[in-house]
Amino acid sequence: MMQATKTIKKRKVKGDAGWGYTFIAVALVIFALFTAYPVASAFIISFQEYKPLGSTFIGFDNYVETLSDSLFWKSIRTTIVYTILTVPVALFLSFAVAILILPLKKWMQTTFKAVFYLPAVASGVALSVVWLWIFDPMPSGILNKLIGTVGADNQNWLGSSSTAMLSLVLMAWLSSHGTSIIIYLAALLGIDNSYYEAADLDGATFLQKLRYIVVPCLKPTTLFLLVTGVIGSFQVFQNAFLMTGGGPDNATTMVGLLIFNNAFKYFEFGKAAAQSLILALLIAGVALVQFKFLGKEVEY
Amino acid sequence: MLFKNHASNSMTKYIRNGTITLLLLIFALATLFPIYFMIISSLGDPVEAGAMNYSLFPSKISFASYKFFFDYSAYSLRWLFNSLIVAGTVTVSNVFFASMAGYAFSKIQFKGRAFLFTLLLIAMMIPYQVTQVPLYILIVNIFHIQNTYSALILPGLVSVYNIFLAKQFMGSIPKEIIESAKMEGCNQFQIYWRIILPLSKTVLAVMAILTFMENWNTFFWPFLVTNTMDMQTIQVGLKNFRFANTTYFAPMMAGATISALPMFVLFFSLQKYFLEGVTVGAVKG
Amino acid sequence: MKRNSRVLASVLALSLSVTTLAACSSNNNGNNSAPSGTSSAGTSEAKDTITALLPPVSPTYQDNFEQMAKDFNALYPNLTLKIEPASWEDMTQKLDTQVNAGSPPDIAFIGSEGISKYVQQGMVMDITDAATPEMIGDFDAAPLEYMKNGNGIYGFPAYMEAHALGGNKAFLEQAGIDYKDVQKNGWTYDQFREAIKKGVVKDGSKTSRYGFVFATAGVASKDYLNILVKNAGMPSPFTTDLKYAYTSNNYLEVLKDVRQLIDDGSMPKELSSVDAGKRWNMFLTGQTMITGKGLATFENSANKNNAKIEANDGSAVQGSIKAEYIVLPVPSFLGKDPVTTVAVDGYVTFRGKKEPTAEHKANVVKAAYYLASGKVAATTNNDLFVAHITKTGKEAAASMIVNRNPDNVAAVQVMLSHAAPARPDIPVELGAKAIKLEDEVIIPKLQALIAGEITPQAMYDAVKKAAISTFGEDGVVKE
Repeated sequence: MMQATKTIKKRKVKGDAGWGYTFIAVALVIFALFTAYPVASAFIISFQEYKPLGSTFIGFDNYVETLSDSLFWKSIRTTIVYTILTVPVALFLSFAVAILILPLKKWMQTTFKAVFYLPAVASGVALSVVWLWIFDPMPSGILNKLIGTVGADNQNWLGSSSTAMLSLVLMAWLSSHGTSIIIYLAALLGIDNSYYEAADLDGATFLQKLRYIVVPCLKPTTLFLLVTGVIGSFQVFQNAFLMTGGGPDNATTMVGLLIFNNAFKYFEFGKAAAQSLILALLIAGVALVQFKFLGKEVEY
Repeated sequence: MLFKNHASNSMTKYIRNGTITLLLLIFALATLFPIYFMIISSLGDPVEAGAMNYSLFPSKISFASYKFFFDYSAYSLRWLFNSLIVAGTVTVSNVFFASMAGYAFSKIQFKGRAFLFTLLLIAMMIPYQVTQVPLYILIVNIFHIQNTYSALILPGLVSVYNIFLAKQFMGSIPKEIIESAKMEGCNQFQIYWRIILPLSKTVLAVMAILTFMENWNTFFWPFLVTNTMDMQTIQVGLKNFRFANTTYFAPMMAGATISALPMFVLFFSLQKYFLEGVTVGAVKG
Repeated sequence: MKRNSRVLASVLALSLSVTTLAACSSNNNGNNSAPSGTSSAGTSEAKDTITALLPPVSPTYQDNFEQMAKDFNALYPNLTLKIEPASWEDMTQKLDTQVNAGSPPDIAFIGSEGISKYVQQGMVMDITDAATPEMIGDFDAAPLEYMKNGNGIYGFPAYMEAHALGGNKAFLEQAGIDYKDVQKNGWTYDQFREAIKKGVVKDGSKTSRYGFVFATAGVASKDYLNILVKNAGMPSPFTTDLKYAYTSNNYLEVLKDVRQLIDDGSMPKELSSVDAGKRWNMFLTGQTMITGKGLATFENSANKNNAKIEANDGSAVQGSIKAEYIVLPVPSFLGKDPVTTVAVDGYVTFRGKKEPTAEHKANVVKAAYYLASGKVAATTNNDLFVAHITKTGKEAAASMIVNRNPDNVAAVQVMLSHAAPARPDIPVELGAKAIKLEDEVIIPKLQALIAGEITPQAMYDAVKKAAISTFGEDGVVKE
C-alpha cells in the first residue's frame, strides 16, 4: 500500500478526471472481461441459431418469434404481477423493521438484527423444503391447520391456480428481508443526529421527523433497494421452479423460468438470449422511471 | 434521536418499546421458523427425504447426521476451507475496489461517468442464464483455468451491485468535507483513504457481510467450473447428499447448519459497525 | 492506472499461487497409484485420459470412484479415467452448459431420453464402429436399443428400471385384493378402480386412508400421465408411421379416467400438489394403500423403516406403521395390451468441438464399457435392486446376496417382459417438438385438470390444437 500511495503522489497533477478513471479502472477491467464480454456474446447469439459446432445467423427471427409467443407475454404479465405484489411490500416491511429496531436497547437491537438476518444465511434448499411443508395440501399441513382453526376450508395451496401465486407471494413476504433490513439500518445510522436535534428544537413529532428527515435521507437507499429488488424479482425463477414448476396451467411461469428452459431444456440458446435482452430492456425501462422519481442526489 | 428516549414519562416509553418488541417478535417467529426447522431436522437420523419426520418437535435428538456429514466425504473440511478462501478473497476485493469505484461514480467528475454507470446497471439486468455459457467458454475454453481458485474468484472480484451500493451511500457524504480536504492539499486517493473509507465504515461492513454471504452461498458457478471433489466449495459438496431418488435429509440439514455457522461468526464480529454507525458531524468536529 | 494494474496483478498472482499450491496437493492425492510401466502391452499405446461426469447412481456409487479409476487403470495402464462427481439433478445443467460451450466430458451418465437432444446439437459420439461385437453382445437387446438414435449407438445402458406401483400388503389383503394374481396377470382400469375404492377408509366425513396416491406436484405430473397412456395403446408419443399419437380419442378417455379416480374419492382432491416425498410419507404412515410411481429401492426403504419401528427408538418416521411393500403393475386401459414404462439410464458418449481421433474414441468406448458391465454394473444394480442387463454383470452378481421379496422380483420380470420398446426411428426434430409441446401445453393443462380447474375435454382440445399447429393436420393421429 505504501508503494501505491507513492505512485499516486507523482500523478497528483493530472486532476480529478484522471483520478476518476483510476478509481474505476479495476472495476471496469473485471466488468469488461466477466460481464460485458458475456453480455456482448449473448447479444450476438440472439441473432443466431446457436450450435456449439457452428452457429448460423438468422437475423431477427428469434426476436420475431419471441414477440409473437403468447406464453412469453403471459410469463411477462405473471412476473410483473409478482414484482408489484412482492417488491414494495418487502421494502416497506424492511423499512418498518429497521425503524422499529432503533429505539430498543442495544442487546435487543443486536438480537433482532441477527434474527432477521438469519434466514438469508440458510441455504435455499432447506428453505424450500420447509415451505413445501407449510403449504402441504393435506389437512395435516401447517397452513391448513392454521386456517382450519378459524373454520376455513382446506386449501390446495400450490396445486391450484387460484392460490399458487398467492402462496409464492406469501413466501416472499415472510422470507428473508435480512439484506434490506441491514442496508436500511446502515443508512439510518448514517443520518446525522444534528438533524433530529434541530427538529426537536422545533418541536417536531415522530411522524414529522420520519416524513421530513428519515424518508428524504433514505431516498438513495430506497432507490438502490428498489432497483436491485425489481431486477431480482424480474429474474426470479428458483422459487417457482422448486415449488410449483411454473404450474398449474402456467399460473406461476415466470419469464426467468422460460428463459432457463429455452437455454437448457430445448437448447434454443439464441431464443433465450433474445428473450433476455427484451427482458433487460423492460427492466431498464422500469429502472429509468425509478431513477426519475428517486434519483435526485440528496445534498446537504 | 429519531425516537425521544427522554420522553416525558418512562411509562409511555415502556409501553412503546413493549409494543415494538411484540410486533418484531411475531415477525421474527415467522422468519425464524425455517431456520428452526433446519436445525431440528439436522438432529434427526440420517434417513431419506421420503422418510423424514414432519413434526414441530424432534422425537429423538442425535448428532449422527453431523458425524455422517464429516464421514461422508474425506473432503468435508476441505469444502469449508475452499469456501472460506473464495468468499474471503472476493469480499476483500469488493470492499476495496467497489468502494473505490462507488466513490468515483458519486463524487468525482469525469467524462463518460453517467454513461459508464448506466452501462454497468444495464449489464446487471441481463439474466445470468444467458451470460453463463459465454462466461464458461471464456474461463474454460479460452483461459483454461477450470478447477482452480482463479476460476472461482475472478468473475466475482468486483460486483456491480456493490458499486451501486457504495455509490448510493457515498453520495450523501457532504461535498464540503471533500472540498476542505482538497484545500488542505490531499489528493483524491488520500481523501478516499483517510476520509471516505472511515466515513463509510457502516456501509463497508454491510457490503462485506453481504458479499461474503452471497459468495459463501453461491452454488451454480463453483459447481460448473470445478470437477474434482477437492476443489468444490461447501455448497457444491452439500448437494452431493442428494441421491438418485432420495435425499439424505438430516445430513443435508446438518451440512446447511454447519455452513451457516461462519456467517454468524462474521455477523457478530462485524456487529459493532452496524450498531454504532458513523456520524459525519463527529469527523467534521 | 499503473498503480491499479499493479494491485490487480498482485491479486491475480495471489490467487494463482494459491491455485498452484492446490494443484500440487491434488496431484499428490490422485496420481501416485498409477503403476508405471508394469505392463509391457500398455507401453506401446499412447497415453490418454477419459473424463466422466457421474451422479450418485446408487447410495454407495460415488464412494467407489477411486477404486473404479484404479481398477480401470490396472486394466488399461495407458489410460486414466478421470471421474467428476455431481449430484443427480444438477448434473444435467452442468452437462448442458458444457455441451453449449462445446466442451462436454467424454462420458456422462444420463437418462436415455436425453440422447436425442444432444444428437440435435451434434455433440454426442456415435460408437457403432468403435464398440467390439463382444461388447455389444454382452448387453440385453431391449435396453441397448434405448441408447440408439437413428442409426447410431451413443453409449452403453446401465440398467432398465420398470416404473410400477407399490402397495401395502396388509391393506391390499384387507381390501380383498388378490395381489399375487395381479402381479402375474395384471389388471384392467375397471378392476383397478374398484380395488382402490375398496382401499379407502373414512373417519367420519374425512378420508383417513386413500386407495391410491401418485406424486404429481410440479413437473412430476408428466410421469403420471405417461405411465398411464402407455397402457392405452400409445406406447410412444409417435405412432410407427411417425404421427403424433396424443390426439387420439384414447387419450381423452385416459384423461377422463384420471379425473374419475379423484372424483371417486379414491385419490385425494389435493393430488396436484402431492410431491414424491409427501406421497412416500403417506405410504409409510398408512394414509394410502397404493402409491406411485414405484421404484425397486422403495422395498428396501420400507424394510428399513419397519426395522426402526421394531427398534422403537423414535427414529422411525413420525406416525408410521409397519408396511410390507408389494410391487404392482400399472392397469391397462380400453382393452389394450399392458406396456411397462421403463427408464433406461446409461453411459452416454460425447465429443468435443474437434472430431475425436479413432484411438481416443476406442479408449472412451473401453471406459464406457468398463463402467456399464461386469463388477461395476453388478454392484451398482444390486444396490438399486434393479435387474442386471449384461451377461458379465449377471456373472459378477452371482456371488452377491440381495434380500428381496421373491414375489416382487417375479412381478418386475413380468413387467419387463412387455417393456415399451425404444424408438430410435423418431427423428430428433420431431422428438424435440414433442417435448416442447409436453412442457408448454400438456403439463400445465394436466396440472389444471388434476386440480379440478378444467375438464378432460378442455385439456384434450388444447393438446389437439397445439399438436395440429405443431405437426400439421397430417402429422397427427385422427380417430
